Amino acid sequence: MQLKLRGIRKQFGENEVLKGIDLTVNGGEVTALLGENGAGKSTLARVISGAYPANEGTVEIDGSRVSFHKPQDAMKAGIQVIYQEFRHNLFPQLSVAENLYAGDRSGRHGRLWSNRVRMQKDADEVLKSLGMSMSPRALVRDLSVPQQQMLAIAKAIGEDASLVIFDEPTAALDQAESEALFVQVRRLREEGVAIVYISHRLTEVFGLADRLVVLRDGVVALETTPAASSEREVVQAMVGRPVENFYPKEHNGTDHTVLQLRGLCSAGRFSDVDLQVHAGEVVGIGGVQGCGKGSLLRSLYGLLPVTGGEVQLDGAAFRPTTPRAAIASGICYLTPDRQNEGLAVQQSVARNISMATLDAITSGGMVNAKAEQARGEKMRAALDIKARSVNQPVSALSGGNQQKVLLGRWLMTNPKILLMEEPTRGVDVGAKAEIYRVINEQTSRGVAIVLVSSDLPELVEMSDRVIVMREGRVVAELAGNDTTQESVLHHALESAAS
Amino acid sequence: MNRLSALALQLRAVWMLLGVALILVVATPFFFTSSNLMAIALAASITALLAIGETFVIILGGIDLSVGAMLGFTSVITAMVLPHAGLVWGLLAGLGAGAGAGLINGLLVTKVNMPSFIATLASLSILSGLTLYLTKGNPVGVSSEAFRLIGTGRILGVPTPIWILLVCAVVFGTLLARSRFGRQVYATGDNFEAAHLSGMPVTRVKVAAFVISGVLAGIAGFILAARLGTAQPSAGKGLELTAIAAVIIGGTSLLGGRGAVVGTVIGALLLGTIDNGLNLLNVSPFLQDVVKGAVILFAVFVDRNAGPIRIIAQSFKHVIPRAPTPTKESVPTR
Repeated sequence: MQLKLRGIRKQFGENEVLKGIDLTVNGGEVTALLGENGAGKSTLARVISGAYPANEGTVEIDGSRVSFHKPQDAMKAGIQVIYQEFRHNLFPQLSVAENLYAGDRSGRHGRLWSNRVRMQKDADEVLKSLGMSMSPRALVRDLSVPQQQMLAIAKAIGEDASLVIFDEPTAALDQAESEALFVQVRRLREEGVAIVYISHRLTEVFGLADRLVVLRDGVVALETTPAASSEREVVQAMVGRPVENFYPKEHNGTDHTVLQLRGLCSAGRFSDVDLQVHAGEVVGIGGVQGCGKGSLLRSLYGLLPVTGGEVQLDGAAFRPTTPRAAIASGICYLTPDRQNEGLAVQQSVARNISMATLDAITSGGMVNAKAEQARGEKMRAALDIKARSVNQPVSALSGGNQQKVLLGRWLMTNPKILLMEEPTRGVDVGAKAEIYRVINEQTSRGVAIVLVSSDLPELVEMSDRVIVMREGRVVAELAGNDTTQESVLHHALESAAS
Repeated sequence: MNRLSALALQLRAVWMLLGVALILVVATPFFFTSSNLMAIALAASITALLAIGETFVIILGGIDLSVGAMLGFTSVITAMVLPHAGLVWGLLAGLGAGAGAGLINGLLVTKVNMPSFIATLASLSILSGLTLYLTKGNPVGVSSEAFRLIGTGRILGVPTPIWILLVCAVVFGTLLARSRFGRQVYATGDNFEAAHLSGMPVTRVKVAAFVISGVLAGIAGFILAARLGTAQPSAGKGLELTAIAAVIIGGTSLLGGRGAVVGTVIGALLLGTIDNGLNLLNVSPFLQDVVKGAVILFAVFVDRNAGPIRIIAQSFKHVIPRAPTPTKESVPTR
């Protein structure tokens, strides 16, 4: 199949998001769509899939003009999309098999009453053929996020797709799961399916794509191939200006131990973790999803129980119990899930920034609203948060700016230790650079950072040391020249290989 | 929250109130007299007090179905304690009963982890049953003149209950809008996990909101008993729904995280005005609930469709061919 877009324009009210896009997508080819948040990638995907009608321009499939008014039209033409918010397209209370065949109109699985036995048998075959190990009877709400994502992908490609659009598919996946996904993408390509692949992660895009298309401000800024281009050139095209070193790492480590863990355990999650973090140091934790790295941070923050071992803060024993106690001891935790447990999105930027530090601007139980505003303005300037005003609700901000608001909340507490989990997930290049700048600035002030990230280049480049966890245990500690993406992966996956 | 949009939501209730008032001014000469306006405020003060407490609970994403039952319970308690222990103890007993009932609601919701709908549905039933049991179903008369003054007295020509409502609206409105507790209420209602991870005492905040709801039901309870001269065991029946309606009309989101006391009070006044106007216009009392239901639908309709309505209004100004109908998702991620 060949899809041809000509002069696609799309505007929302005054805001023109797509300003005349020409794009050709061929069968048997992976076309990567790159660009900062707000460049128009997701909007373009929605235009192709019929979710948004274009204001101007034409869409042609194999030379004949089509116009989709709703996603079902596009699906009939064989166009499938796996959206970034894939969870919206799954039914959490239904089983894997039922989800897989929710859109099935063939009647093969029954018309009035569903034939569950046959459905589960078919589902099992489909899942096995995709190399996925999950029970077709499992309820979707019980699946892990990566499993849900894989299911969304299975659902989309199972329906005789001739064009599949992946919107940030690896945002929730770790390295091993991403690899499994790439296998599927390549398999689809072999079968002649056209693939549009939207991602922020340059490394994976360069490894996977046949063609690269960079969007900036609603126009195509660059069209090239991985062989003919470089990451540097692509990033330049994304931001519209030459960029300095992408990971501006500064080494600020000192000898002073701020955080010391000895034999820390949390039953069923991790065990025997020894770790030393010095002031001004960034210690990265690598490992696959579920290796215990996230649980370790949550335990230190008092969100999960510690069942053994000890924690010392500045040499004094510390027992993490609640977030409140952790904050009071100078520990902050940047959650990877800013929508569900990070931001109060209906509240203003200023209010979100002061959420963890209200006591400091409260007297007699009343909040000093002026101080609250002033702090908001200060953080907006310091972190370059793009908002019309600090009174704007956080929901009106882009992902990157929301993340900066969340980070700003923790910086307000003047932390000693910053626990960061996926600090740049779903964040555009500009905001990423800003977050790295903050990491450097904080470490230069002596803040200790523990960084958990499934973005391998980020983990390796921004950390002074990296420890690798596997099945709840620390299996390696890498420093200096040993800290490479390959070595992290090697240690993270070792047992899987043997 | 964007100040302007928060204000706009509250304003919606003001516009509706003004609209209804204007119609009534034209329709009947009896409406716009000081005695009638006073009567409206007096009648609305009971619902408004209940609704103020309900506002806290609803901003937290919960609901309190027991406010009406708490009103009946507390007014009976006050009336029963009054002759034995005097005015002060009578009032304190009523307030204490309300606070206690609210505390139990709060603990059921937080510690036992029950949905507030179910927990307060149960307490509605328990409290109204208990009230009937204590009184054997008979009204409890009050004779204390001092106590009666709370309901029937006037200060500067304005009935005492209206003063009490004003004081409560200012105190609890300020508490919600300006205090640390208020910030915690909004944040917890908007995103419970985020508030918890920010170190906010989310459990205490929730319990406190139910206690506030109970205390205000207690205040409304003794005002009603004082005004009528008797505590009716079934006085609060169905009032929880009127209170919830006032909160919703006042622009508070049932999903939590958004709302204010001002809107709630105006919402209660609007419902009172509608009752009053329909009476003046000799509309069958059976139809009054129908009209109130329609007002709730209208208020929520405007709330939900604020975007499209604005677009339609704009498209009359400059005609755009095939104007996009934006849904919630169609806001570009910028």
